[in-house]
Amino acid sequence: MTTAVELGCYVFAIVPAGTKLPPPDAEGPAAGLTLVEVDGLAAVVGRVPTDRPLGRAADLRAHDRVVADLVSGGAAVLPMRFGAVVSDETAVVEELLVPHRAEFEEALATVKGRVQYSVRAEYDEEAVLRQLLAARPDLRRLRETAAQDSARQLQLGELVVHALEELRPADASAILAELIGTIDVHVRQPSAPEEVLNAAFLVDVSHAAAFERRVEKAAEQRAGRVRFRLVGPSAAYDFVAGR
Amino acid sequence: MSSPVQERRSGGYLERPAPSGLADVVEMILDKGLVIDAYVRVSLVGIELITIDARIVIASVDTYLRFAQATNRLDLYEHGGKSIDELGGSMMRSGAKGKTKGLLDGAKDKFQELVGGDDDEGDDQGDDDYDEDDEYEEYDDEDDGAEEEVEQPARARSSNRGSSSGRRRSSR
Repeated sequence: MTTAVELGCYVFAIVPAGTKLPPPDAEGPAAGLTLVEVDGLAAVVGRVPTDRPLGRAADLRAHDRVVADLVSGGAAVLPMRFGAVVSDETAVVEELLVPHRAEFEEALATVKGRVQYSVRAEYDEEAVLRQLLAARPDLRRLRETAAQDSARQLQLGELVVHALEELRPADASAILAELIGTIDVHVRQPSAPEEVLNAAFLVDVSHAAAFERRVEKAAEQRAGRVRFRLVGPSAAYDFVAGR
Repeated sequence: MSSPVQERRSGGYLERPAPSGLADVVEMILDKGLVIDAYVRVSLVGIELITIDARIVIASVDTYLRFAQATNRLDLYEHGGKSIDELGGSMMRSGAKGKTKGLLDGAKDKFQELVGGDDDEGDDQGDDDYDEDDEYEEYDDEDDGAEEEVEQPARARSSNRGSSSGRRRSSR
């Protein structure tokens, strides 16, 4: 080990002053957690060596764990995106907290008493392809003749992907309509052709159980055709990016 | 672990990972949340980020071939031996020749590279949760070793902000 490794301040989240810190990790960004406070506002900070790249799985998990612990402790939390490192505590106070105080306080008020749920709905591949082929003689014909021809294979695949894109909006809006009653919704862009909906919901803690039931019901009604995945409650990652 | 996600519901229709798989974690913390660069400029420390680039191209040859293969695999006669040509189709016809979307958010196959190189115990659960694993395996050419650090320069996003310490150290 070289001597005098420089340490930077890894910022996990911004919270109200006095928020209870989660337990630290033995090593990594979440070792030596501190609360850097000024005038009712605080940053949850760890120390990282500045000569080592960040991004190992353990680093990612540490970030997730600390933010999740803050949320489950009941605090209002503005989660930072992974990789936020500032030179020292003075900079955390003077460049981060003090100049943006009004903005952070407003954002904290928005997420207070609320949690985020992420819902991802995906077509069951086989079911949806059957549906497509049943409706599209052109796809069936192409499928019969495409087997040994790579250009036709590509054409078939492209047509299927486009057909899925045309199918998606109606299903997505139907699902969204069933998950109403949330504070805010952020619909993310689909990351795969079979994805029907990928959205984040900001939900009042008092309505969390009801929201979970709605998602369960939406999933049950589409069993066999659409698969649902629910992640949360988590910090309101999708609802803090004000800039 | 005091994560708020404690239980895995087994209602049968809804997947609820607990704890979240690494893929779920990555999607949130790399793409969402407050971006420090927007607030701090002077004292930003440009630590190199070795993370996966969570973007895939939907309109890619790989994606098209995957769906062509999935379509080819279907046995259209398995339901009562009836040809699908006899089945009525009620779906709307495709008329639009819409432009394919460009780069879209996503990370599934890329997750595999990260998850595959991870030694954290939570990943087993994460892997189980991802039905897509099998489909993506063929694209996953990474040696599934026990190394913890994800180092695939060709695929890794190397974000080098600021100038103070973004360099890599030479190996010791």
